[in-house]
Formats: sequence, structure tokens, C-alpha cells
Amino acid sequence: MTKVIERREMNTVEQAYLYEAAKGLVGTAKHLLRGFFQHETIPTVSYPEQIIPIPQDYRAHHRLMKRPDGDPRCVACFMCSTACPARCISIEAEESKDGHIEKKPKKFEIDLLVCVFCGLCEEACPVDAIRMDTKKVSVVADSREKFVRDMDSLMDWDPSDYPADDDQSQKAPGGRLNAQARTEWAGGTGH
Amino acid sequence: MSAIEWAFTIGKLLLVFVPLAMIPIMIFMERKGASLIQDRVGPNRVSVPLFGGLRLFGFVHNVTDGIKLFTKELIVPKFAHKWYYIVAPMIPFAIAVMTPGLLPWCAPIVFEWGGHVYRISGQILDADAGILVVFALSGLSVYGTVLGAWSSNSKYALLGGVRASAMMVSYEVSMGLSLLGMFLLVGSFSLSDIVAWQSSHAWGVLVQPIPFVIYVISLIAETGRAPFDVAEGEPEILGHHLEYSGMRFGLFYMGEYAHIVINSMLIATMFLGGFDVPFLHTEGVKEHLGLVIAAILGVFGATALGLMLLLRRWARLYAKTNSTDKVAHAREYAVLGALFGGAGVGLLVAAVASAFLIKTSTTLVGGEAIYPLWTSLLTAFVQFGVLLAKALVFCWVWVWVRWSLPRFRYDQVMSLGWKILLNVALVNLLITAIVAKLLQGGR
Repeated sequence: MTKVIERREMNTVEQAYLYEAAKGLVGTAKHLLRGFFQHETIPTVSYPEQIIPIPQDYRAHHRLMKRPDGDPRCVACFMCSTACPARCISIEAEESKDGHIEKKPKKFEIDLLVCVFCGLCEEACPVDAIRMDTKKVSVVADSREKFVRDMDSLMDWDPSDYPADDDQSQKAPGGRLNAQARTEWAGGTGH
Repeated sequence: MSAIEWAFTIGKLLLVFVPLAMIPIMIFMERKGASLIQDRVGPNRVSVPLFGGLRLFGFVHNVTDGIKLFTKELIVPKFAHKWYYIVAPMIPFAIAVMTPGLLPWCAPIVFEWGGHVYRISGQILDADAGILVVFALSGLSVYGTVLGAWSSNSKYALLGGVRASAMMVSYEVSMGLSLLGMFLLVGSFSLSDIVAWQSSHAWGVLVQPIPFVIYVISLIAETGRAPFDVAEGEPEILGHHLEYSGMRFGLFYMGEYAHIVINSMLIATMFLGGFDVPFLHTEGVKEHLGLVIAAILGVFGATALGLMLLLRRWARLYAKTNSTDKVAHAREYAVLGALFGGAGVGLLVAAVASAFLIKTSTTLVGGEAIYPLWTSLLTAFVQFGVLLAKALVFCWVWVWVRWSLPRFRYDQVMSLGWKILLNVALVNLLITAIVAKLLQGGR
């Protein structure tokens, strides 16, 4: 159903323009004086110095989760690269040394210039191995090759940057608790 | 001419650079005014490397703009008419230097020197045709626009130039007609006569309020800025300086700002009494010179102290944020606060001192009471400052109007100019003529 909005005819004062223009000038003058005397009310954030906190579920730079022994949690099932609409994930699989797990990635690369940060890889992953919760939004490099992130750089993250009480990160495939894994890392074994 | 007259004549030539000197202030005002009106912060990154970086509220960006414009390549398009292309940007700029020569900057400086009484005019050229020469010069500035548009061999630039010239021609008419009422009352085209009449009768804005509005609107239209920016329209319409780069574009740009400054001075001269200090006039200023200077210094000092308090407040609030540059900013605000506070206290002390110490007295030379040279010179400076202050108010009106009102369509511009302003100016001229005839007799 279309809604027709009738345009009101301008009355004489409005057609004379000067009074309405003066009203507009007063309006802008109010903004000017407020900005001058109460500079902190200006909503601008001076970016590199002041950074607005990024929410935990923001889709940013990827990371690969790890097993307690430092191997990637990924089982090289290719679900993420299949789900990826931009086809930016390239995986090569190899046999895992762990008896319970068949495969692990030999190569896991994400081309950030191709990635559209849609988060479908995250949702497709059956073992919660890939996440986009690093909050890294500023990705800078001086050549195209450097935007292709390999497995090592994807796994290079600090556990203390992430919330310890996150339910979804507590259970690790393989049956061992992440909290237990963290104490092992803190003790210097593994990783 | 004696040596002192030569010194004054040469010294007065420096006045032609006043509009150029006000261009940086104008650009600063435009940027900060625009950003504050739009709830933005505005330019604030470039800093002077003193005391660990003083940003001076974005004023330093003028310098970087200058460096950028001067170091950019000057492109001459293929098939452009090279000679006209190079000359065109100089025309508005040259006019910006020529027009100040006709403006009255202060009352005639009367003083006694070596037994003679000298009267130095406050103008560089006190032409009888005064305002007509100013009109002629400002009418010439359209040549820069049209020549630049045509010679750069670009259809878009040419269309912009045609629009600009059509609008300038239209608004020159109502601009001239709106002033005719003032000429009728004053009985002279000379700018110094017009100012003298206003100081002895009443300011033009009180006598002729409607032509004042018409004149301001026409002048805004004549500079081609919003809401009359049909010629150039920075965001989307391609204007007459489309093909220009580097400092040649900069000359157009600075010519526009100098034009605004000159037009503001013209408004101040024609309708706000020019250099006239309200209620005191020239003799009053000379008599109470100490108090006048004290008032001026006091206003500046109080403003500086107020700015210092504002800075302290802002520094206190900034220290509470989570910024990473809090330390550098705290230091910068401390330095600026000390500067403003010192200047404010110094100015207030100077104000009190001048109120008590500056005493003026006359000497009788040939039966005429004459003030000494320093009194006349200080009075001239005070009047010059008053003119600049009045002009700055109107410079601000230009910026304010630009960032408040939406652009008129081209047909609206034309109908406003020809159907409304022109007719109102003509009716006003008729009424003024009748009233002047009844009040002033057949003069």
C-alpha cells in the first residue's frame, strides 16, 4: 500500500524566505556555540588515540584454535573452505599423529584481500577450530603476498586476550579441558 | 611634499596587503566554523614543533596548504590558450590588491610637525568617484572567471564561467541600485564623504535597512559562494577553475577569500559607519584616547582569560578520557594556557596603565586646536582596528550563511536577482528620493 504524503503549501512568511533563513542561521549558531563552549559534546572520536571498544562477537581477523599440545584444532574437513563464498581459504591436509584424529592441516591459508568477513567459515566449522574474535580490524601490509595469512600466523595469539569464562571455548575436541590446557601452557609444557 | 608626507604616503601603501593578510584568518574561520556548525572537530593534526608540538587549533594547516599548493605541478592543458590561462587567475588577485587603495581606513590624520599642520588622508586614493571605481574593479573580477573558464579549453569549465558571469552581471545591478539611496542622502560618491556623513548623522543600516539586506545578499551572490554557488558548487558542479592546479588554483581560491574580506569592508564602510567609533567619533576618540585603548585592550585581555579558562576545562575533561596522547595534550594545553593567561593578564595591566597614563592635550596652531602626531596615529590605529572588527563580523556572516543555507537553483537565483531584489531596490530608491526631497529640501 502506498502512503501519499501531501506537500503543504508554503505560507507567505515562508515564501518570503528571510525569516526562515534566519531561523536556519540560529539553528547552526546553536551548534557552533555548543561545539565551542562544550567541545566534549562533539561526537567525533580522534581515532588512533581513542579507540571505541569492539564487541566480543565482532567479525574481525581470523584465528585458529589450538589443542593442548599446540597442534591446530582443525581436522582438515574442508567445511570452511566449502562454505566460504569468497573462496579465500586454501587447505592442504595430512595425516595426524594423534590416534584419535584422522587428519590435520598441513597448510591453512586465508587471503585477507579476498575474504569478505562474512563469518560463514566460523559457522561451518564442526570442531570450533576457526574463529573471528581477535578484534583486529586494522590489517596493514605493503604487498599483496603479505595479506595471505598462513597457519603459523593464524595460530599466533595470546590466550590471555580472550575471556576465560567463555563457555564455547571450554570443551576441546579430544576430551581435555581448555582450562587444564591453559595451566599446562602456563607451566611451560607444550606450546 | 615634505619628508613626513612621503613617509605617510609610502607607509599607507602597506594597507593594500590587509585583505591578503586576512585570508589565513578567513580560511581558519571557514574551516573551524564549518566543522563546529556540523558538529565536527575540524583540522587539528599539524603542529608547530615548539614546546613539544603546538597545534594552535588547526591554524597551522594554512601553512601546510600553502606548501602543498606551491609545490604542486602547474598543469597547462593541451589546446589551452596558454597566455590567458596563466593570466586569468591573477586578475581576481590583482583586484584584491587594488581595491583597498580606495577604502577609507581611518579619519584624516591631522597633526603638527615643524610648525606646519598636516592633513594626511586615511585613504591611499581619495577619488571623487570612490565607490564607482570600487564597482568597476569588482566588476572586472568576472574577467578572471570567464577568461580562466574559456582559455582552459574545457566545456565544463566554460559552462561554469558562463553561469558565474551571468550571475555576477545580474547582481551587480541590484547591488548598485541598493546603494543609490545612500548616495542620494550623502550627496557624494566619495567613500570618505559617505563615512563622514554616517558619523555626523546616523549609520547607513539605520537609515537604509532594506538596501542593507539587498546589498549583503548581492555581495554574497557576487562572490559566488553558497547559497549562490551555482557557478562553482564545490561538491558536485564543475566550476570555472576545473582545469587549474597548484598555486594557479590557489590564486583563484585566495582571490575569492580576499574578495569576501573586501566586500565585508565595503559593507562596513557603506552601512556601518566604516572606521567610525560609535558615539565617540574622531574627536571623541582623540580626547578619551587612554580610555578607548584601555577598553580595547581590556576586551582582548578578558577574551584571552576566558579562552584560558575554556582550555583548562577542556584539558581537565580530556585527561579523563582513555586517549593514548593524554600526556602530550596536557603539556600542550598547559603551554597554551600559560600563553593565554599571560597575555590576558598583560593586556589587562596594559589597559589599566593606558587608562591612567595616556593623556592627550591639544596645542593651538594658527588658532586651531591640534593634537600631537602620536595621538593622531594612535587614533588612526584604533579606527583601523574598528573597521577590521566590523569587517570580521561580516566575514563571519559569509561563513555562517554558507554552512547554513541550501543552494538556490539557477532559475531561483535569477528570479531573486531580477524580480525581487532589483524591484525592491528601485522602490526603495523612489521612497528615499521623496523623503530626502521633503526633509533636506532641494539640495
